[in-house]
Amino acid sequence: MKIFFYKSILVFFLFLLAFHYSYNFVAKSIERTINSNFSKENIEILKSKIKDEMNNAINKDRFISVENAELINKFIDKLINDLNKKQ
Amino acid sequence: MITNFNKQKKSIILFFIYSISILIALITYKDYGIHIEEKFHRLNGHYWLNYLSDQFGFDNIKQITEKKINEISDYTLSPVSVYNKYSVIFDLPTALLEILFNISDVQKIYYLKHILSFFLFLISSFFFFKILELRHKNFYLSFTGLILYITTPRILGDSFLYKDILFLSCFMITFYFFYKSLKNLNYKFLFIFSIMTALSVSLRIFAILIPILFIFLVVIKNFYIKDYIKSFKRICFYLIFFFLFLIILWPYLWSDPINNFFELFKSVRDDLVNVKILYDGSYVSNRTLPDYYLLEWIAISSPSLQITLFLFGFFYCFVRFIKRFISIKEKSIYNDLWRGGKEELDFICLLFLISFYFFFIFFNAPLYNGWRLVYFLNIFLLYFSMNSLSIIEILLVKKFLKKFFYLIIISLVSYNFYAIIKTHPFQSIYFNSLISKENKNLYEGDFHGLAVKHFFKEILSRSKKNIINIGVASHTPIQRGLESFPENFEKKLNIVGQEYSKADYIFKNNISEVNLKLIKKYHIPNNFSKVYELEVDKVIIYEIYKRNN
Repeated sequence: MKIFFYKSILVFFLFLLAFHYSYNFVAKSIERTINSNFSKENIEILKSKIKDEMNNAINKDRFISVENAELINKFIDKLINDLNKKQ
Repeated sequence: MITNFNKQKKSIILFFIYSISILIALITYKDYGIHIEEKFHRLNGHYWLNYLSDQFGFDNIKQITEKKINEISDYTLSPVSVYNKYSVIFDLPTALLEILFNISDVQKIYYLKHILSFFLFLISSFFFFKILELRHKNFYLSFTGLILYITTPRILGDSFLYKDILFLSCFMITFYFFYKSLKNLNYKFLFIFSIMTALSVSLRIFAILIPILFIFLVVIKNFYIKDYIKSFKRICFYLIFFFLFLIILWPYLWSDPINNFFELFKSVRDDLVNVKILYDGSYVSNRTLPDYYLLEWIAISSPSLQITLFLFGFFYCFVRFIKRFISIKEKSIYNDLWRGGKEELDFICLLFLISFYFFFIFFNAPLYNGWRLVYFLNIFLLYFSMNSLSIIEILLVKKFLKKFFYLIIISLVSYNFYAIIKTHPFQSIYFNSLISKENKNLYEGDFHGLAVKHFFKEILSRSKKNIINIGVASHTPIQRGLESFPENFEKKLNIVGQEYSKADYIFKNNISEVNLKLIKKYHIPNNFSKVYELEVDKVIIYEIYKRNN
């Protein structure tokens, strides 16, 4: 009875330890990664970077080069064309 | 005759040290600032006093407390009706004292609470001394433990703040009666132990581990004593009184004891702060702290020699425990895990330390502000340090090197005094020499906001303007520190928060709830320059920035 009690306590403690350093450890690492990549702060940073880039674009004389503009134009035309095709 | 004289001599030494401690506390208590949660605690006291007056029909007190609640409440405080789970054991009696003695000066109220908190801490130190006396039966060693208990810098710095040290004090007294009750399951001790456990649990819910450990130890002892019926009766007696006192001493439970009690556990999961904290130079969420967070904090903010002795004492007891554990037999004439009273106490301390530590680890406790939530573990750190000293004493006496032993004691005590004087009145931010001077500011500093009083004094000495606008580049709600000044000064100091365009001066420290490397919320604008910095032992407590002309 006594030995069984002590063994049970030991097994219970080892189980908790194993659970913590396996499941809990992985869960914590994932949470930490999510927190650092998708935190409110990071989203705010991303938003402000997009805004900065948009402002830069507005202030530039030419944002898209002639070559790229032609390519994008042709691509959009192609898309419209294909979408308008009935069959 | 000689025994009587020795007893008297010891009592005189104790009386002397307590008198000196009280005297120093009375001289220095005004040096300490007002911490940011004092306002909440005052509100908490009056809220529950109001509730009690309502329940028992004390109309006069009810009216006074209602007025006080309206006076105290402001936009920085969450309503107590929502955050109503905090214990009343200190806040309510002090709120009553405030009314009985008609103390209207808020500063005096806070100072009274500081002094009372320190006295409670001193009372608890006597119980620590008693525990050491039981363990070592050596007055001078126990006395050294008592001095270290009082003078551990961070603990002493917080002893005026009736937060974590209030719990430490309560826990210490509970632990003493835990041991006494366990010794012979005497009704008198069990009764006191049940009251103290109730007080500890009402202060910090994780103290619920104490009754569990008590039952566990009674079961273990019964493998040897084999008096199951007596033990069962005494455990029932203890548990009944524990729950009874828990309800009596905690008005929060009165309306619906069972549901409100379980609500606490839900609240621990959902309501605890979820913030970013500065830890080792990075801002990390307090929900995803590494497991070694506590160990690291304890290692860098406790006196180094104390920690070294603790490690030695702890591993000595741990190895002995393992040896005993692997040699348990089905039938034995001894207790399985200890031999004699001294080892029993060692085992209990080991069990407490390991259980509470892993309790925090397994439940992923959202810790913050260093290790202040577990300052009560310092009891066990010191206990094992004293064990080491005891072993060292035996070893050195054998080698006729007793003088070396005294040298260790003198170094331990004098270092604590040196650290206290050096960091006064900011002992709460003490770091030891294990951390380099450059790295001290990579950890949270003045999280209690104790320096705010110092900051306002500095600002008042610098500016003669009628109204001084103060910006705050910190998560510290500095407006609460205004309570440490007379009302005319409060009107002079206008807090504008993060509206830096309106500010004349900006207060800055390293306390932030967001990642300052990403969010510029507390970023000092370019048109401000640093004009002052309060640095204590290389830790920057706060900085003042002034608008450029």
